[in-house]
Amino acid sequence: MGEPKTDEELMLAYAGGDLLAFEMLYRRHRGMLYRFLLRNLRQRADADELFQETWSRLIAARERYRPEAKFTTWLLQIAHNLVIDRFRRQRPQASAEETETVLRNLDAPESEQPERSLSEFEQRRRLQLALEELPEEQRVAFLLRIEGGLGLDEIGEITGAGRETVKSRLRYALARIRARFAK
Amino acid sequence: MNTPRKPDDDLDRLLADDGGELGALYRRLPRMEPPRRLDRNVLGEAARAIHGRPPRRQRWMVGLGSAAGIVLAAGVAWHVGQDALHQQSYEPARSAPTYVPVQPLDESARRKHDNAPAATDAMAPPPAPAPAAPAAAAPMEFQHRRSAPPVDKAKKEVAPAAQSAPPPMAAAAPPPPPAVSTPSEPFSSADKSAAATSTDAEAKGNLAGSAAREQESGRSEEAANASLAAPKPARSTTGPAPTSSAELRRDMQLAPEDWLAHIQQLLRQGRRQQAIESLQLFRRAHPDWQLSDELRALSE
Repeated sequence: MGEPKTDEELMLAYAGGDLLAFEMLYRRHRGMLYRFLLRNLRQRADADELFQETWSRLIAARERYRPEAKFTTWLLQIAHNLVIDRFRRQRPQASAEETETVLRNLDAPESEQPERSLSEFEQRRRLQLALEELPEEQRVAFLLRIEGGLGLDEIGEITGAGRETVKSRLRYALARIRARFAK
Repeated sequence: MNTPRKPDDDLDRLLADDGGELGALYRRLPRMEPPRRLDRNVLGEAARAIHGRPPRRQRWMVGLGSAAGIVLAAGVAWHVGQDALHQQSYEPARSAPTYVPVQPLDESARRKHDNAPAATDAMAPPPAPAPAAPAAAAPMEFQHRRSAPPVDKAKKEVAPAAQSAPPPMAAAAPPPPPAVSTPSEPFSSADKSAAATSTDAEAKGNLAGSAAREQESGRSEEAANASLAAPKPARSTTGPAPTSSAELRRDMQLAPEDWLAHIQQLLRQGRRQQAIESLQLFRRAHPDWQLSDELRALSE
């Protein structure tokens, strides 16, 4: 076996008809994309819908892909556009109580010690609530950074904001999260 | 996390490769994964895109659309058929169905009328106008054919129909009871004279026959008045009455075997004219059907 191919190489291979390349690409990014969508939309049904739609658009546009664009940036750009469209529809979003219910239903890691789990759970819960309370632009920027692993320039490219604007949004986001932990 | 920090410190940590303390906490959040059905959908779509096939969903929708169309068409056809039967059997007076005039096949009578002197036209009784409510008469007429009712009853049913209907509907009028059902009915002079008239309005002639019989019995002054308004005189039909289109349409709904059995039944009942008309229609509907010698001879 040769060296692992980059995302961009896999995408080009898929555009050339290599289905296995797409499967590798998909396995690499499916979780990140899904979490980005779910933490933004907060409802699984919406996340499921936009997850599939994101990949559908990527598949449809495979022949227009150019390796100059980082694959992750391209993928998250598509997802971000769909999220913004969804936000613009002004659909009622899940309340904090619903979000907390979702969190409670999620399994905690088995390695957690009983005496730690409460505090870790509380920390995770607070982080989750803090993310929920973030303004849309700040939450998107934070998730693009922390879930997508994008830098300031890439976040700016996706959101259409300048570098300093992105930094400002991230700063505000961090401050709000810290405030939630200080309560 | 409770210790106050500078915002840029937090930002720098966040922008570090590991995301700092907050990044570590974030990674301890539940790592939600997409459900497997989404994996199947996405990978399937990727494969279809490569192979140039349309998404299964679209083909499914096409299939569903076709099936829905067929069901809709069948439902409409069934409903129309049911309505026709229902109106024919149970709701005779609600609406006025259109009847297609069916020509009598009595060729001897036709020749007789064709050879009659033109001077007798003036003596022919004018045709009775169409019934005001042909739907009321048609089902009754159908029942009469089945049960061979008395002539007086048949006249009563035709007489009110001749009172007020407009002449243009004459061609669509239901025929009088067939002669085979009333073999003892005497022909009046009006009938005989009417039989010598022109043959250009045979359906009207059917009504004329009814009117003539009413005149004969002296009970239908309304029919006589109505006949004055008729545009053309017509001959009286002395032969069997044509089968109504409703009745033929009903025959057409039978299965071929049942239809032929019905024709045979008509023959056994002595309703030969009706059997011939139904048989001819059968041959048009089923030209390739092998008829028995008896029916083939009858149809020819």
